Amino acid sequence: MSELVVDDLVAGYGDARVLHGVRFTVKQGEVCAILGPNGAGKTTLLRALSGMVRTRGTVTLGGTELSGRSPDTIARLGVAHVPEGRGTFMPLTVEDNLRLGAFVRRGRAEVDSDLDRIYTYFPVLKTRLKQAAGSLSGGEQQMLAIGRALMLRPRLLLLDEPSLGLAPLVTRELFRIVQAINAEEQTTVVVVEQNAHLALGIAQQAHVLETGRIVLSGTAEEIRADEQVAQSYLGYRV
Amino acid sequence: MSGPTKVDDTTAAPAPARKRRSGTIPARWRWIALALLLAAAVYAPFQLVPFHVFQLTMVLVYAVALLGLNLLVGHAGQISLGHGAFFAIGAYTSAVLVDRLDVPYLLTLPLAAAVAFLVGFGLGVPAMRLRGLYLALVTLAIAIFLVPLLKRFEELTGGSMGLTLPKPVPPAWSGLAEDQWLYFLALGVAVLAFLVAASLLRSRVGRALHAVRDNEIAAEVMGVRLSSYKTLAFAWSAMFAGVAGCVYTWVIGFVSPDSFTVNLSITLLAGLVVGGLGSLSGPVLGGLFVMFVPSISQDINDAAPGVIFGLLIILVMYVAPQGLAGLAGRLIKKIPRKE
Ligand SMILES: Nc1ncnc2c1ncn2[C@@H]1O[C@H](COP(=O)(O)OP(=O)(O)OP(=O)(O)O)[C@@H](O)[C@H]1O
Ligand SMILES: [Mg+2]
Repeated sequence: MSELVVDDLVAGYGDARVLHGVRFTVKQGEVCAILGPNGAGKTTLLRALSGMVRTRGTVTLGGTELSGRSPDTIARLGVAHVPEGRGTFMPLTVEDNLRLGAFVRRGRAEVDSDLDRIYTYFPVLKTRLKQAAGSLSGGEQQMLAIGRALMLRPRLLLLDEPSLGLAPLVTRELFRIVQAINAEEQTTVVVVEQNAHLALGIAQQAHVLETGRIVLSGTAEEIRADEQVAQSYLGYRV
Repeated sequence: MSGPTKVDDTTAAPAPARKRRSGTIPARWRWIALALLLAAAVYAPFQLVPFHVFQLTMVLVYAVALLGLNLLVGHAGQISLGHGAFFAIGAYTSAVLVDRLDVPYLLTLPLAAAVAFLVGFGLGVPAMRLRGLYLALVTLAIAIFLVPLLKRFEELTGGSMGLTLPKPVPPAWSGLAEDQWLYFLALGVAVLAFLVAASLLRSRVGRALHAVRDNEIAAEVMGVRLSSYKTLAFAWSAMFAGVAGCVYTWVIGFVSPDSFTVNLSITLLAGLVVGGLGSLSGPVLGGLFVMFVPSISQDINDAAPGVIFGLLIILVMYVAPQGLAGLAGRLIKKIPRKE
């Protein structure tokens, strides 16, 4: 039984269609990587899943229909979206950023204990709690963005290019943590990533999106072994 | 399964130079300063001549209106060029209730607040779907429409002649003169308004407003319903403006359409920006600005007070881009402190 089912998903901006019938599924607790060139519609796909753009087709999470619902309803149903460019609330403190992640939740004590859980993944955040989030480094902001998303206690975590603008070492660290989160919390993850190598390293399934269509699907190993993918996204020939 | 992986602080990121906790005044000092300010505010009307007491009363009235405008502009990141209209709605609600229905004036305060809130909510629903210049234009239109509207419903509003009202009589137990009584009414309302605004901003709602201001997309995926929070911010800020307008009516004892032209709306917004957006002291400084700078400009150059007023705004924004509140904050940080 698949946790996330995306069927015949069409989405776009105004009259411009970007996704033309995307179809894939993700099993509960798995990591799914979406690869593809610039402008393929990867960001749009994540936005469609979290209700930020108008869609046709169906999206269900754990059997619950998501398509056609508003972003705040989808957040309440357990979808946390780390947007492209991190979406840091710059002037607010790190702590306020994290607490905003739990905006749709009630129960202060639970939220407080979840904050502590976030610090075990990202100890650096704990040392910066009262600092304006805009003064964090790029890597720290990305950690904050992921930590903030976890504050929702998501069933489904959507990550849009977490490696953007980060040093390779930091990126590797970040993916290691995402993998640990996935293992610990059994959170289903959809990750869009330019760094195909790292993404395939933590994913079970992967799909290649080109001009709004999925042109290749398979297990991470299959995708890694594909000659076309290797040339376009991994930078070497098989 | 492994436990949560820790990020090694040294490899995680090029850590920025650790700053001293970004410069807020310690809470204790803030309370002391606030208490002193309040003591001075209570003491002042017994030391000043009635005209100066009246001027301070008007500063408080404008401060309440700016406090509301600050919720919308400084905290929720939206703009309104029409807040004079909600000020007028509060003023007229109070005036009409007292004049036509003989409602005791103190009772008109909650009613004026409610009417301004409801009108703000009604106008906010469509207006808050717009942004930037479009929102500025639509709110400006609200202010422009109001004057002819007030003139039109003459039986209720007194038309262009306006309404003249009896001034509130200070109760005998207070032993206060009229100007002092009005001052304390305004002070009481202002303190209440500040407490309401401060607790609103500290709550989950305040955090949501800041999120909307700082990053709409991120706020939305976090589950903040943008249209609801923007509309609520608009309604609340209209409510504060309405409350200020109500106290204005008590103090001035006269309302007419020409007291609430577009000019008032623009002066309010200018006062807020000059006072300092997004801070709690900004509205008080802005209130001083709105009250005194137009008359100071008049003194400097009788022929073109508008020019002087405009130049003063430009000057303040040049010297203190964060407004007067920001300037004060910068000066306080310059004072050397023991670590
Ligand atoms: N807000 C928008 N309004 C209109 N068109 C948009 C908007 N955002 C994206 N598009 C268009 O949608 C298409 C897909 O964009 P999208 O951001 O989804 O690509 P992407 O795969 O995430 O690319 P990248 O790898 O560069 O981030 C592009 O042609 C882009 O021009
Ligand atoms: Mg993208």
